[in-house]
Amino acid sequence: MGRRVNVIGVGMTKFQKPGASDEYNVMAVKAAKAALEDAKVSYPEVEQAFVGYVFGDSTCGQRAVYELGLTGIPVFNVNNNCSTGSTALMLARQAVAGGMAECVLALGFEKMEKGALGSKYTDRTNPLEWQAGLMSKVQGFNQAPPAAQMFGGAGREYRWKYGTKRETFAKVSAKARKHAANNPYALFNDVLSVEEIMASPEVFDPLTRYQCCPPTCGAAAAILCSDEFAKKHGITKPVYIAAQAMTTDYESSFKEDSMIKMVGYDMAKACAKKVYDEASLGPEDVDVVELHDCFTANEILTYEALGLCPEGGAEKFIEDGDNTYGGKFVTNPSGGLLSKGHPLGATGLAQCTELVWQLRGNSDKRQVDGAKVALQHNLGLGGACVITMYRAD
Amino acid sequence: MSDLRFDGRVAIITGAGNGLGRAHALLLASRGCKVVVNDLGGAATGGGKSSAAADKVVEEIKAAGGEAVANYDSVEDGDKIVQTALDTWKRIDIVVNNAGILRDTSFKKLTPEDWDLIYRVHVLGAFKVTKAAWDHMLEAGYGRVVFTASAAGIYGNFGQANYAMAKLGLVGFSNTLAIEGKKKNVRVNTIAPIAGSRLTETVLPKEITDALKPEYVSPLVAWLAHEDCEETGGLFEVGGGLFTKLRWERTEGKTFKLGRAMTPDQVKNAWGQITDFSKVTHPTDITSSMQPILGNLNTKALGGNEFIDVDAALGYEFPPQKSSYDQRDLELYALGVGAGANPLDEGELQYLNEMSDKFVALPTFGVVPALKLVFDMAKKGETAPGMNYGFDRILHGEQLTEVRRPLPPQATLTHKAKIKEIWDKGKGAVVVTAISSEDEDGNELVYNELTTFVRGAGGWGGERGPSADVNVAPDRKPDAVVTEKIRDDQALLYRLSGDINPLHVDPNFAKAFGFDKPILHGLCTFGFAARHVIKSFCNNDPRLFKSVKVRFSESVFPGETLVTEMWKDGDQRIVFRCKVKERDKVVISNAAIELYKEIPKAPEKKKPAAAATAKAGAGRPADAPPSSAEAFAVIRDHIEQHGDLAGQIGKTFLFKLTGPDSAWTIDLKNGKGGVTEGGDKADCTLEMSDQDFCDMVAGKADAQKLYFGGKLKISGDVMASQKLMFLKKIDQARAIDVVMKLRGASGGAAPAAGAAPAADGEPTAAEAFAVIRDYLEQNKGMPSQIGKTYLFRLSGPDSAWTIDLKNGDGAVTEGGTTADCILDMSDQDFREMVAGKADAQKLYFAGKLKIGGDLMASQKLMFLKKIDPKRAIEVVSKLRGASAPAAAAAPAKAAAPAAKKDPVAGSFFKALGERIAKTPGLVSEVGAVVAFKVTGPDGAWTVDLKAGKGGVKEGASAADLTLALADDVLSAISKGEALRDLYQRGQVRVDGDPRIAHKLTFLKGLLG
Repeated sequence: MGRRVNVIGVGMTKFQKPGASDEYNVMAVKAAKAALEDAKVSYPEVEQAFVGYVFGDSTCGQRAVYELGLTGIPVFNVNNNCSTGSTALMLARQAVAGGMAECVLALGFEKMEKGALGSKYTDRTNPLEWQAGLMSKVQGFNQAPPAAQMFGGAGREYRWKYGTKRETFAKVSAKARKHAANNPYALFNDVLSVEEIMASPEVFDPLTRYQCCPPTCGAAAAILCSDEFAKKHGITKPVYIAAQAMTTDYESSFKEDSMIKMVGYDMAKACAKKVYDEASLGPEDVDVVELHDCFTANEILTYEALGLCPEGGAEKFIEDGDNTYGGKFVTNPSGGLLSKGHPLGATGLAQCTELVWQLRGNSDKRQVDGAKVALQHNLGLGGACVITMYRAD
Repeated sequence: MSDLRFDGRVAIITGAGNGLGRAHALLLASRGCKVVVNDLGGAATGGGKSSAAADKVVEEIKAAGGEAVANYDSVEDGDKIVQTALDTWKRIDIVVNNAGILRDTSFKKLTPEDWDLIYRVHVLGAFKVTKAAWDHMLEAGYGRVVFTASAAGIYGNFGQANYAMAKLGLVGFSNTLAIEGKKKNVRVNTIAPIAGSRLTETVLPKEITDALKPEYVSPLVAWLAHEDCEETGGLFEVGGGLFTKLRWERTEGKTFKLGRAMTPDQVKNAWGQITDFSKVTHPTDITSSMQPILGNLNTKALGGNEFIDVDAALGYEFPPQKSSYDQRDLELYALGVGAGANPLDEGELQYLNEMSDKFVALPTFGVVPALKLVFDMAKKGETAPGMNYGFDRILHGEQLTEVRRPLPPQATLTHKAKIKEIWDKGKGAVVVTAISSEDEDGNELVYNELTTFVRGAGGWGGERGPSADVNVAPDRKPDAVVTEKIRDDQALLYRLSGDINPLHVDPNFAKAFGFDKPILHGLCTFGFAARHVIKSFCNNDPRLFKSVKVRFSESVFPGETLVTEMWKDGDQRIVFRCKVKERDKVVISNAAIELYKEIPKAPEKKKPAAAATAKAGAGRPADAPPSSAEAFAVIRDHIEQHGDLAGQIGKTFLFKLTGPDSAWTIDLKNGKGGVTEGGDKADCTLEMSDQDFCDMVAGKADAQKLYFGGKLKISGDVMASQKLMFLKKIDQARAIDVVMKLRGASGGAAPAAGAAPAADGEPTAAEAFAVIRDYLEQNKGMPSQIGKTYLFRLSGPDSAWTIDLKNGDGAVTEGGTTADCILDMSDQDFREMVAGKADAQKLYFAGKLKIGGDLMASQKLMFLKKIDPKRAIEVVSKLRGASAPAAAAAPAKAAAPAAKKDPVAGSFFKALGERIAKTPGLVSEVGAVVAFKVTGPDGAWTVDLKAGKGGVKEGASAADLTLALADDVLSAISKGEALRDLYQRGQVRVDGDPRIAHKLTFLKGLLG
């Protein structure tokens, strides 16, 4: 399995709405510097950089890190849709775990435009063609944002299957807002009631506007290193990656006429199993979770894919308060994609940042008491699911 | 190389006054070891005591410059011996348990004293000495112990029962100490020496004992006692120059699955395997010894008894076998099952006259090669493993024969047989053998399942298997009955097809089985029945035959009259049974034949027949593949030959071919149908290149692949295109004839029909696009919002239009070949859509609108709905020179309202109320109140399926489930659309618990 990899520094910018943020390179440098400072490592010690973003021309990664220093190191530009950030993180971990580097930077940023996600290149095969084809076969399509139609459709299928109340979806968003109120880095800090969420304009039944993550600009970064490097730098008991896996689509995504499967349920489930197996831990050992709540429907599906509750048990799980402080797990203490925001390239590393803070015990009001094991779930349609488990000894 | 030294080490050697012990002591001492020379000084047979022997050895050692001390205690006082070492040198490193005596006598004469004494000196003594030293060794973290066993213990030896017992006891003792001492560096080994000593004098001749010097053994003891030696738990035979190590070897043995009785007979039967040393393992500890046992603990036997071993048999695949048949075999079989009794009946002659072009195989022949395979294997004694019974125990219980396509007149088949199922029926077992027979190309031609009942092979507590009575004859008058007398010599004819069981030919043999005379083969009756069904339901065309499944319930005698009663069960299924008229007995029951809807085609060969078409002809080059015109001529001929096609299909098809362009209409709706060149409208329109069409007809291209590759566009009634499958059934030989004839003559095609644009008041597509162009001019910001280009390809009349909402201020132009999003639809539908009479999404789901390229971009066309109808009227009016009545031309909902449909809600809920009243069970089944909020026209209904008898009332009230939907969606539900699909598409909004809606399936077809 390679060497143990530690996360010795993390950092992120405050997430902003489109138009209100700095340029991508400025955000990226801020996040990277925060992470370097946190790790007490100087940039010349970084041997490789893995830089994720979705929107932008090639080599934005270099442009971003060049401001930290022109040290000639390898820079990898990473693009994997909404799981871009954690994909960069995974590559960074592999470099250290495989003994190819002692200290590396994983960086992600996104400068997003207003409005819903769409396709940028229309003169070539749409990578989500199969997903769109399945969706139009199962439910047609309308003018709602495509991603909302996909995850909303999965929500419809889930409701039909398990008789889930419309309010249950809204409750997820209310919880996210509540958590985000304590997160100075989050885009939204104002709390919303279930009623307010339900009353917001419907985007795609059962999703209302406040159940969809907003387009966001921001950056986040992590410094990863080997045990030897940590020791040399006098870092004791760093947070480390206990297990990590990536899955891409299985046949079931396209063969079962299921929106739930199409939006990556089986990917997430299989990925979680790999991670639990690698760590020899189960969901019951996890204290805190950052999961990919791009839409409330996906948070619900993900509870089950990660095994936090039994299949069909999400409604009870939510009603029992097992997804927040005082319950079995705290999911998305940061506010998640719904409230903290979702700058595609940064999200995976912002999740990492939150969890490292949680495991170090310095998350202020958001702190999950005694958190020792943290789980991160980051999903992109197209698709890829990356799950990472962190531990602090 | 330096010598192995023992400086500073202290050793105890018991019985060191003579022989081996003395040699060990001298050797160790000579290498620096301090030695306690223990010897009781007794006789070789025990008894007596003297210090002389030990003292002598000590003196020898000292004389040589070594250190030694004598001890005269019995090994039974082992602690005293060890104490001597501790007193003298304060440590103990090495114990060599060597002391021993003999009391040899045959077991017959062996006394308890002989037994006990040997035990005490060898075993108890070794225990006492080692026990006293053990703690010191563990504490010091160092120790070497050597036990002395004997070949007599390992192999046994006459007259040494007591001695052998003791010696092998030491091996077990030593092995365990090796394990316990390992962590503390205490190594324990055993030697089985052979040396001339006082003990062997009684066993071996003197010449030999003289030659076997103790000095040949001691070097091994010294090495095992040395600190460099890591060996532990070893057993060594040594002596006369040989040094060798022993280990355990174990056969792989036989592992029986657990969970069923194990009998001595099974052990006996497996003896060869149990004792076969060709496959062995060498267990070295308890864990490796247990390994195969633990591995077997999770296995569970599937069952079986002395006749059948399910574990061995189930799933067994026989080696593939080949066989061939030709038309003579087919004819012999047909005669065997009674065909041709009336030699003037064409329906029968088709099985028997290979010279006719109508010659065809009787499909039930498919069982013959399979059964022959079973007989051949039985004759050669090739049975599946675990099947320990003969033909005398089996009854053919059921038969399934399925043909994948009509059997060719001759074939070489490869049969792959497998034991598919074994069921425990109590008294017997049911064994299902599946046989797949493949043709030369590896395509399955026939599939058979032979179900046999094996007497006595059941009762092992296994599953009974499926027992549902399938294909039960309905309780009504048969739809068809065929009565046929079986010839007296029928069995004699049938057996020539391969089933040569004497029961069917030899009167004496039949008597022995309790029959008055030879009986008819069950499979012969089976063939009769199939013939009857084909005659009654397939219009005598056996090529439609798919499968037959029967149960044999009684024997039939040749000469009896067979009555086959048949019931139609759907279009492609006939349930039947056979009776013997004379005895009124059902002989075949639970039987059904399934038919193909269309005759299945043989898988394509590498060389398509159509491509090999022409050998001569003037119209086209002889070797040219058929042109599209020729292909249509072939289709025309096929339709003429099959007058019923039009009745069956009921659709018209328009083929629009490009490069060179041509259009062809295939009419399979009106009259007897026909093929004409030209045409502009049909139920289903297919657009493709001329080349692809020709390739498709020649079997070189697959329609489905063309479709998904975007090379074939289908519009209109897409589902109708499926009915074109009949093209695959066109007789290739006949196709060649048609093409040849055409090439002989010269073909002239009629010119294509001219365009016939509609010229009434409705706006044309061109006008609609003009309105869109005008809208764009009014809204210049649109391209930046939308950023896509669209190509509309309209058909009937054909036109193409590009709407550019990407570049500059946008534009609408006629023509175009590509765009981000391509929409294919009929001109008519387009005009209706723009006029608000048709809905794009509905057209899409009805298959009338095809969207290619960026599917998602099409949603942005919603702006079309925003076009101001008034302005649209102006635009169209201007185009028409302001002469046309504006109102009539308006592409607007107001001016051209959609045909008003009657709302269904009223009758829907009335029918629902009646259904609930008629079906009281619905209330308990659903147990919920369901509210309907209907729109267009609006209304509310509450359906109570919870309280009392339930009921429907108009108006809204509290409900467990609320369904909000449009009136026309209600209509769709009553027509059979699934509620779940409509919900998923967003056409039904669900509040409350959606699971209640799962139970509302009875809404389907509510309005008939």
